[in-house]
Amino acid sequence: MDSGFLRALEQVVGPEGLTTDSTRRRAYECDGLALVRRVPDLVLAPLDTSQARECMRLLREEGLAVIPRGAGTGLAGGATPHEGGVVFKTSRMRRVLEVSERDRFARVEAGVVNVDLTSACSHHGLRYAPDPSSQQACTIGGNVANNSGGPHCFRYGATTRSILGLTVITAEGEVMELGGPEPDPEGLDLVGCFVGCEGMLGVATEVTCRLIPAPETTETLLALFPSLDGACEAVTELIAENLEPSAIEILDRLTIEAVEASVLAAGYPDEADAVLLIDIDGLAEEVRATAQDVGEIARAHGAFEIRTATDAKERARLWAGRKGAFGAMGRIAPDLYVADVVVPRTKLKEVVLATTEICQARGLKLSNVFHAGDGNLHPNISYDRRDEVEVARVLEAGTEIMKACVAVGGSLSGEHGIGLEKRDEMHRVFSEADLDAMLRVRAAWDPDERMNPGKAIPVRGCMEIKTKPLPVPSGGSS
Amino acid sequence: MEPQTLIDYTRSLDCIHCGLCLRTCPTYQLTGAEPSSPRGRIHLMRAVAEGDIEADAAFREEMDFCLLCRHCESVCPSGVEFGALMEHTRAGLAPQTAIGRLARKLGFKLLESRTQLRLVAAALRLLQVTRLARLIAPLLGERGSALTKLPAVGPSSERRPLPEESPAEGAEPVALLEGCVMPELLGEVNRATLRVLNDAGHSVSVPSSQPTCCGSLQAHNGELERARALAKETIAAFEESDGVPIVTNSAGCGSHMKEYPNLFAEEPEWRERAERFSARVRDLSEVLSPRERSSASSAAVQEPITYDDPCHLCHGQGVREEPRALLDATGLERVELSESESCCGSAGIYSALRPKDAERILEGKLEALRSSGARTLVTANPGCQLQWQAGIQEHGMEVEVLHLAELLDRAQPDVS
Repeated sequence: MDSGFLRALEQVVGPEGLTTDSTRRRAYECDGLALVRRVPDLVLAPLDTSQARECMRLLREEGLAVIPRGAGTGLAGGATPHEGGVVFKTSRMRRVLEVSERDRFARVEAGVVNVDLTSACSHHGLRYAPDPSSQQACTIGGNVANNSGGPHCFRYGATTRSILGLTVITAEGEVMELGGPEPDPEGLDLVGCFVGCEGMLGVATEVTCRLIPAPETTETLLALFPSLDGACEAVTELIAENLEPSAIEILDRLTIEAVEASVLAAGYPDEADAVLLIDIDGLAEEVRATAQDVGEIARAHGAFEIRTATDAKERARLWAGRKGAFGAMGRIAPDLYVADVVVPRTKLKEVVLATTEICQARGLKLSNVFHAGDGNLHPNISYDRRDEVEVARVLEAGTEIMKACVAVGGSLSGEHGIGLEKRDEMHRVFSEADLDAMLRVRAAWDPDERMNPGKAIPVRGCMEIKTKPLPVPSGGSS
Repeated sequence: MEPQTLIDYTRSLDCIHCGLCLRTCPTYQLTGAEPSSPRGRIHLMRAVAEGDIEADAAFREEMDFCLLCRHCESVCPSGVEFGALMEHTRAGLAPQTAIGRLARKLGFKLLESRTQLRLVAAALRLLQVTRLARLIAPLLGERGSALTKLPAVGPSSERRPLPEESPAEGAEPVALLEGCVMPELLGEVNRATLRVLNDAGHSVSVPSSQPTCCGSLQAHNGELERARALAKETIAAFEESDGVPIVTNSAGCGSHMKEYPNLFAEEPEWRERAERFSARVRDLSEVLSPRERSSASSAAVQEPITYDDPCHLCHGQGVREEPRALLDATGLERVELSESESCCGSAGIYSALRPKDAERILEGKLEALRSSGARTLVTANPGCQLQWQAGIQEHGMEVEVLHLAELLDRAQPDVS
């Protein structure tokens, strides 16, 4: 890379904002999906919006590809520089700019960690609802890019429901202010368009988030089931009965064992084959009534015990255990393939059974921990990326699982985004015309397609959709 | 060194790349940089082992930048033994710079000789009393700041060794580790430790055959061979008092001594002796039981007090509640310090080798201390105590830093 160009960048971000040496760049070759790797040509870490704008202008002049990155906890390869280019990360932009108690919003820089926003507003009796399992590490900017979910999105909606305004730097180096603290700004909903764009429309540098009052009462139930089937059926009925807990999660036997062996051991029972972890919040009376109904339905589907967390500490432990489940699977194998599909909630049992069969047929180790209330399944397959044969079987199983979900009217992604992992499956749910329309939206923001190229929208040629498999893991180039 | 032996490859595979460690890491907090995070460091280690990168200067720098606070271990769902991974890597790396090498060689030799430590302490006292220290420090460059930050060395009466036997009645006898810098720089802490143990009825023996240093600083900084030799001496010294708990008032030593068996993977006989030894090791807060203490005598302590968890006590040993219970039994008003489990930047000899980084890390902690409103800060590790004292003094804050033993000593048990 031209040394004059690097000097110009360094003048903007300072030496700490620029990573050029090949060893350190290596650490950015993947995000949470370590299967696909490529070392970026450069890593840039601006400190604020104005530095970000200056950087983007310089990058435009060089015509370089830009790969936005938050904390790199994504599971679909969205922040992987698989075509080279410049990793543009927000992890140094982490000031909470404003918390407005009265108007119930917070304005934060994009690199603020999700849990830090939660604690910044908890003094005010407020909370930011979306709580991805990686909330201890993931950034608000990354949540915006992926329209992330989390257990409590069952009641409060995914990230898009909680975003009021954005400061965005476009590929052209322009700063755009979209939306704002007021609930319903006039004009086209460009905030809605941007959330979930997976870094293809620009980089958000500041985010205005909707806050909601913390509930008066929260109760956490743990229903113990002798089988995964029973737990799935119970969820289907909870939904049919219009009960509205704030979160409904399922953990299976293997997941429980891994969590209980870890520092996050939460007291999950060893006698159950599956548990439902349910949060109910609201006014005390409403919570009591819902808890009773939930308990009855769970028992009707075979739950042999319903436990209630006794205090905030126990609730926190149960949730920390659930949210650390992905990491805990590191005890089983060095890598984990986390599928992220959505099915109608009447089909939970059927699809869970199908995923079990798909994995069994390929001799793969499957565990299940998922946002059952949303029908958002996470069949987790443990593997070792050094074993090429196993990797091929895992990817094949992933595709089969997606097919099974689409076949019953489901979708490809609940919350992790499409990224690289699911890009080439997009044709299963979208027509040529749909994909073309997406490209036109993208072109309106980024005509040169420099923002996060090669992600989310399948690469097509000669009117033919290429369904090439994920790139074989390579050592990467530097 | 071959990449395969430089890295503990098997342990590196325990990392599943989830990133839950990122926010806890002090160096990631400072930089927001992936290679300065636990996940990033493990990724680089694995890349070295798999031959994708060389263990070059940038790699060594990222390994040296780590404080080995092990906060990441406390949150890792996958159970990565990061401390062991890093110690292994450091053992294989040539020390980064000539000055680092010199500091280590000189520093470690010093730590291993009581006579030399005494000489240095006496010389330091001379420099401090005559105020020459302030004149010399600038000549030593960046690292010279360590000289002015050290606490005032007491007169030789405060630095005398503890008696070999201090009898008491009513509780089980214990053996005490005297520590390396403790007697020279923080002799009063050792004496306070002895008094609170005696007050609680523990007879205390201090084996004179114990080596000057337990070897923890050597192990953290890649001198595993020396660490093994010192561990053997320590184990042998305490075998005379077989069966009784071995008490330490230094979290770093305690954490290391509880993990002695890891040093002897290839020496089964020593491994067995180490296991017997380690099973006896207790932090001071683990042997004392909370007792009501008279509030009258606690006037010697400014309230409110707060407690900062030493990394090697909370992350290294999982001891969090015991010190707080002891403090609360004194009846003193205690406030929680936010992020009390994050590193203060002391980290063994880190603050001497990388004073600027250590200072930046302490800044966040000082901010937390300010907003806690505490007038007394309690810790349970000598390094942390020195680091806090230096920072508080430099920022002109009016907060007294006490070791847990000193605080308990001041708030005498209620005899009525």
